[in-house]
Amino acid sequence: MTAATAAAGSSSRRGLDLPRGARIGLAVAAILAGALLPLFVDGGGGFIDDATVALAYVVMALGLNIIVGFAGLLDLGYVAFFAIGAYTMGYFGSLFHITANHGKGIHILVSGPAANLPGIHLNFLIIIVLAIVATTIAGMVIGLPTLRLRGDYIAIVTLAFGEIVQRIAINGDEIKAFGTQLTAGRQGITPVDKIDLPFLAPFTSLELRPWYWVAFALVLIALFVNFRLRDSRLGRAWIALREDEVAAVSMGVPLVKTKLLAYGTGAAFGGVSGAFLGSYLNTVNADQFQFSFSIFVLAMIILGGLGSIWGVVVGAVVLSFINNRLIPDVLNDVPAKIGLNFDLTELSFGIFGFLLVIMMVLRPEGLIPERRRQIELQSGIEDLAVAEESVYEAKVP
Amino acid sequence: MAATSLPAAQPRALRAVRKFASQYGLIAVLLIMPVAFGIHDLRSEGDLSRLGNNLVDGLSNGSIWALVAIGYTLVYGIVELINFAHGEVFMLGSFVSAGFFGTIGLTAATGVPGLVAGLVLTLLVSMIALGVLNVMIERVAYRPLRNAPKLAPLITAVGFSFILQNVGLLWRGGSQQGIEDLIDSQKELVNFVGLSITHGDMLAIAVTIPLVLAMTAFISRSRLGKAMRATAQDPDAARLMGINVDTTISATFLLGGMLAGAAGLIYALYQTTIWYFQGFTAGLIAFTAAVMGGIGNIRGAVLGGLIIGGIQQISDNRIGSEWTPAIVFAYLVLIMVFKPSGLLGEQTREAG
Amino acid sequence: MSKADGSLLEARGVTKRFGGLTAVSDVSFSIPRKAIVSLIGPNGAGKTTFFNILTGLYKPTDGRVSFDGANITAGRPDKIMALGVARTFQNIRLFGTMSAVENVMVGQHSRMKAGLVGSILRPPRVGKEEREARAKAADMLSYVGLDPALHDQLATNLAYGDQRRVEIARALASDPKLLLLDEPTAGMNPQESAALTRFMERLRDELGLSILLIEHDMKVVMGVSEHVTVLDHGEKISEGEAHTVRHDPLVVEAYLGKQEAERQRQESGES
Repeated sequence: MTAATAAAGSSSRRGLDLPRGARIGLAVAAILAGALLPLFVDGGGGFIDDATVALAYVVMALGLNIIVGFAGLLDLGYVAFFAIGAYTMGYFGSLFHITANHGKGIHILVSGPAANLPGIHLNFLIIIVLAIVATTIAGMVIGLPTLRLRGDYIAIVTLAFGEIVQRIAINGDEIKAFGTQLTAGRQGITPVDKIDLPFLAPFTSLELRPWYWVAFALVLIALFVNFRLRDSRLGRAWIALREDEVAAVSMGVPLVKTKLLAYGTGAAFGGVSGAFLGSYLNTVNADQFQFSFSIFVLAMIILGGLGSIWGVVVGAVVLSFINNRLIPDVLNDVPAKIGLNFDLTELSFGIFGFLLVIMMVLRPEGLIPERRRQIELQSGIEDLAVAEESVYEAKVP
Repeated sequence: MAATSLPAAQPRALRAVRKFASQYGLIAVLLIMPVAFGIHDLRSEGDLSRLGNNLVDGLSNGSIWALVAIGYTLVYGIVELINFAHGEVFMLGSFVSAGFFGTIGLTAATGVPGLVAGLVLTLLVSMIALGVLNVMIERVAYRPLRNAPKLAPLITAVGFSFILQNVGLLWRGGSQQGIEDLIDSQKELVNFVGLSITHGDMLAIAVTIPLVLAMTAFISRSRLGKAMRATAQDPDAARLMGINVDTTISATFLLGGMLAGAAGLIYALYQTTIWYFQGFTAGLIAFTAAVMGGIGNIRGAVLGGLIIGGIQQISDNRIGSEWTPAIVFAYLVLIMVFKPSGLLGEQTREAG
Repeated sequence: MSKADGSLLEARGVTKRFGGLTAVSDVSFSIPRKAIVSLIGPNGAGKTTFFNILTGLYKPTDGRVSFDGANITAGRPDKIMALGVARTFQNIRLFGTMSAVENVMVGQHSRMKAGLVGSILRPPRVGKEEREARAKAADMLSYVGLDPALHDQLATNLAYGDQRRVEIARALASDPKLLLLDEPTAGMNPQESAALTRFMERLRDELGLSILLIEHDMKVVMGVSEHVTVLDHGEKISEGEAHTVRHDPLVVEAYLGKQEAERQRQESGES
């Protein structure tokens, strides 16, 4: 499977220091466990709900990992791709364009309740393809101005784009295009079509297991793409550019094309996940697309280990759990118990910020570090002189 | 060359267009909005007083941004880091100011001498408190990571900005809070050729100009100012010359924080509402101003602040304040594409 | 600029100004095929700047550069590289967190074809390309003398001499026609320098490469260069065969100062 193909092409010194057989075994076990999980829990309960959302976040984190982890491009505006994917779902899978086709609606390969409603209703798989196209283009457009900027400027420009997209989302109910509003602003596009796959009945909001498995399938595809890219000509080009742009270009790596491919590919993941979430959450509204979400996804890959594929998965699951369950449910009344007058959710921003600071100061290479990043970060943070010494010291033959 | 990592190689014609665009394009783009609306005004109302008032308000708003932008630009010039938490420092400046003058009992009814004394005191308190906060942020978030790849301090800065936002949230809640209109901010003080200058405008200008002049004088003449400039250019050489780089950097953060504290006070009195989230947008707007003027360049930060203030006012007034952030950020992107070194040029380590 | 004159690389009137500073001034230069030539001069003479112009990292303010008949003036570095110009750097610039093999494979980037889709789907063609690239990288590393046990070692962990080897292997990986070496013997002892000199001759004779060398070690320069060009303050002050240039008073003066030049002139006048 994916882990096997990954291990085949790479040297044996990445991530955890386990022998190859153990790593493959662990990966297979994790995948099996993930696939079988829904059979052991309540099909409509909170756990599987959180798990499905967590999987959607894993896909996004894997996408951002390509941009920031592999290619080293500091993207602080990933939420824009989430938005574009979600709005693709909203446009082509809801009543939003209610006047389309003179009120009769456009339907392509849909069945069930959606087949008779006005608005545009396309099959979910078609929407996924559209979302990929839209976000890939958007990713390249957003990436284009950053190509010759240095790291922190890239961060600001991508952040600015994220904000611009959010503003358009919020104010889109004022803009008229092709007879309808551009977006539904804060109220949002709702309801959104449920996923409808061939040979299966359309999903419902009561039985969450099919949603989980769709998200799980998306995660597997995302993992596959990540592993393949990491150990490929393109993956090496990204890492080379990240390490030393001048040297990389002098070795024949085309700067513009390679960076744009990173942005486009990473963005596509956000689009796919966004489209899925648009349907799953049954709404696409502007409040979902805030800057804090971009940082949330970035925190996942930093916590897990920048560039480390399995690390990113772990980071996404952990942060999703902390954000959706630990703080709002499990620990919410802790402050009240010690006599303070607020819920823990009101502190979620601050806790999150604190987590970011602690991570960077204590363990910047993340939970499951990618070996490269460990070297980069540790030799940077520790005494630089020591690192230089080891490079220039000639070892006795 | 400083903002780019590799020089481009393009056909001659394209390069010539780009060079022209980079030198004059930015100015042209900045002028589009005022000129277009000016023409519109002349046609519909026959005079430019509305545009004029936009620009006057823009100058006052802009002076707030200028103060915050100087903070960004000083810090970037010396440590080449974007202090992401700076917007929140500004926000807390407003909060501290509002809290303080509430505590010492200033109200709209306080007599003028008492008011002036009270506000001067508040200004000092705010400046000192936020200066110290900024120094603390440097100690905790930046100093340990000085040799790390740029991602690390950026992340800790964002983390700090979230923590500080939460502080603001807990302090005064999640919605915008009105505060006492101590100086009767909207009341017109003087009317000059149809331009209305209010109390608020006067305050903004009266506080900002002396502060900026003092700052510029300090940097160019004092020993510490020279140390700051030297460290900004070449920290290793500065160290060899006997300059304590750590102290100099802390002093830079102190100055930046003080200016943000002052800006916070002006903002609170001018807008008469404060909000825990005001720092986020303000931070980005002020950073845009700093970049527009040329990062590391104090005069540039002031110029950028005033220009952005003007753009913001025109946008608020003509297009709608919900669109203003998008417009300002679009300008930021344009600057980065065509002239990352800004209008007055960068003054950082690489540009020297 | 015709191919007929047989030069591999031809630079005419190359000038580079950075604001008020003229780093390279009206330098004309040609490199024949299958030859080893050197570019020398005191520190700050503009040698590395000139290299950077040849490889496209800097755009010249004036002048033209042509390579194998094609105009490469102000070309994109990756495109110039694809035409057959490869280089090493004065301060070794390996990709530290990649292994030696992976570094060399990056050097082959322009010779490989797999794109985004190919990298993801990995059809047999791409798989084959990867295997061949990896094998070639291993060959290159052996050719430059890197112990096979170190092939998968992270570049940053290698000894200085080995890192130099990897850098050269990386430059050779794309089968270049011209190799630019920027102070390759820096930090080497005399035996290592001699070994490198012999190696360069092998490259010229076995692989048919031309090599342009920036060097400070006169023994290497004298020993291996067919032609030497001397820069000082951005200008070409002398060129010719190695031993001619060595005794050129202008060159002596540039390196050692007026007094030494005067002294040598007096000495040779007396003898």
